[in-house]
Amino acid sequence: MSIDLKASWEIFRNEFVVNRGYTRVLTGLEHTLIIAVVGLVIGIVLGTLLAVTKVVPQNTKGAKIFSKLTDIYVGLFRGTPMVVQLLLMYYVLFPLIGLAKIPALVVAIIAFGMNSGAYVCEIMRSGILSVDKGQMEAGRALGMGYGRTMVKIIIPQAVKNILPTLGNEFISLVKETSVASFITVIDLTKAFQQIGSATYDYFIPYIVLALCYLVIVYIITLIVKLIERRMRASDRR
Amino acid sequence: MTEDNKNDFRDDCCKNLVYVSEDIVNTGIGVVIDVQNVYKYFGQLKVLNGISCAIKKGEKVAVIGPSGSGKSTLLRCMNLLEEPTYGEVWLDASIMTPVDPYLHKSILVKSNTYKRLMIEEIKSMLGKGEKDKLKYDDAIRLVDGDTLENLSDKVLKQIKAGDRLKKREGIEFVKAVKAYKDRYGVNINKARQRVGMVFQHFNLFNNLTILQNMILSPVQLKLKSKEDATDKALKLLERIGLLDKKDEYPSKLSGGQKQRVAIARALVMDPEVMLFDEPTSALDPEMVGEVLSLIKDLADEGMTMVIVTHEMGFAKEVANRVLFLDGGNIVEENTPEELFNSPKNERLKDFLSKVL
Repeated sequence: MSIDLKASWEIFRNEFVVNRGYTRVLTGLEHTLIIAVVGLVIGIVLGTLLAVTKVVPQNTKGAKIFSKLTDIYVGLFRGTPMVVQLLLMYYVLFPLIGLAKIPALVVAIIAFGMNSGAYVCEIMRSGILSVDKGQMEAGRALGMGYGRTMVKIIIPQAVKNILPTLGNEFISLVKETSVASFITVIDLTKAFQQIGSATYDYFIPYIVLALCYLVIVYIITLIVKLIERRMRASDRR
Repeated sequence: MTEDNKNDFRDDCCKNLVYVSEDIVNTGIGVVIDVQNVYKYFGQLKVLNGISCAIKKGEKVAVIGPSGSGKSTLLRCMNLLEEPTYGEVWLDASIMTPVDPYLHKSILVKSNTYKRLMIEEIKSMLGKGEKDKLKYDDAIRLVDGDTLENLSDKVLKQIKAGDRLKKREGIEFVKAVKAYKDRYGVNINKARQRVGMVFQHFNLFNNLTILQNMILSPVQLKLKSKEDATDKALKLLERIGLLDKKDEYPSKLSGGQKQRVAIARALVMDPEVMLFDEPTSALDPEMVGEVLSLIKDLADEGMTMVIVTHEMGFAKEVANRVLFLDGGNIVEENTPEELFNSPKNERLKDFLSKVL
């Protein structure tokens, strides 16, 4: 199969610029970023809460129950593919609880957030365990409660320790959003697909699509590095 | 812990058990921390075996002993970083631990086990058969006061010796425990605000600057306004000569500096008593002096303190009472002059010959 690169490029340029294909791409980019960023925020909040149920002293019945529930949650979300979770939520779960009219984008944000929560839980748990036990003891000895010491002392140090891993999680989240179109969300991938199907030429659109993801991930990497350097301030010697 | 072990423990327990009941509060005037018959087990390991000691206001108590003797555990029980397996720890007139029913006659007599045993005793004394039905309230009316007193003592001893209390001991028992807790109990976080603690490994908060370390707790807990806390923290920093480090992170400080900040951090809370857990054990030799002299200054100012230490010279100089722990018991306690110069206990003699 031979491909006329120049012709392909002309077709793509025509669709992208003249037929205003870039508006689609911008909408797609917007959706991709919204899902990834809001999803990550939900994931971090949820994951941290879940992680705390795992590290809290297991000496009461309530603590044990919460820990078990977390196990089940993490098991479910890690044990099924992201696409399946999306489909289930959009076509089964939300209609079931009478929320069939909820926009697909919102469902995608919730699904990615909950999925990310399961992974962040494990990351955060290891981060919390990596903080010296003496830090919690010092906080408690000064009269602060478990929760307050957790929020003010332990979690900030844990986050610092797991920042590179958390950056990784964000990167995979961005890339995973490419399956959001399964539930009719126009994301970056879908936008380029639409350009391709409008011109019957997918060659250039898919190359540009890949480049788009590469650039996004590169920017995230830079941001994570920047944050990391700022948070390392407390152990510069 | 197996059932047998548990019974062993209760046998020991009975030997040195004193009824404390309610009067502990009244006799406790001037006592800041009162450790009552504390046992601490880590699984099979018995670390504390029924320790009782009272720390009076203004006292400086040094705790010495071989490693593994339970010194640090005893200290950590004093602010409940370790929860005793049995026994109670009192701060002033409030109980920090759960109520230990075995220490309170007034609570024990409310238990179903006590009532059942009493009925049996009275029945056998009056020569009644097993089958005779008798209610507790009726039974105790069948004998006179002195006999009742004797029987009661006998039954209480049986209960304690055999660890006879069951999981459920009836509503009256539960009510008695709860009433006691309501009357004397205290929120553990509130209690800890009054007890300063200094750790072997400093445990400064790594994510906060020195100043933030010092004001975090008083400001968070609304004990002081931010201005007041900062004011006090800066004064303390000036006193320990580290004012120029206030905006540094702990990782930039030397061990000695960290420990002095840790002491200052505890002092911002205005504690009534300070607990030192081997404050110089993790320090390079040349930094020990600066920390010890700060502790000595505090002692001279009249701060009540308990110091677990391996520095015998320091214990001699600062303490007005020394406890020697071995195998989870206080083996000897005395003034430092007496204890160091004329030790009576063999194990203490042996220990001192090794460390002095």
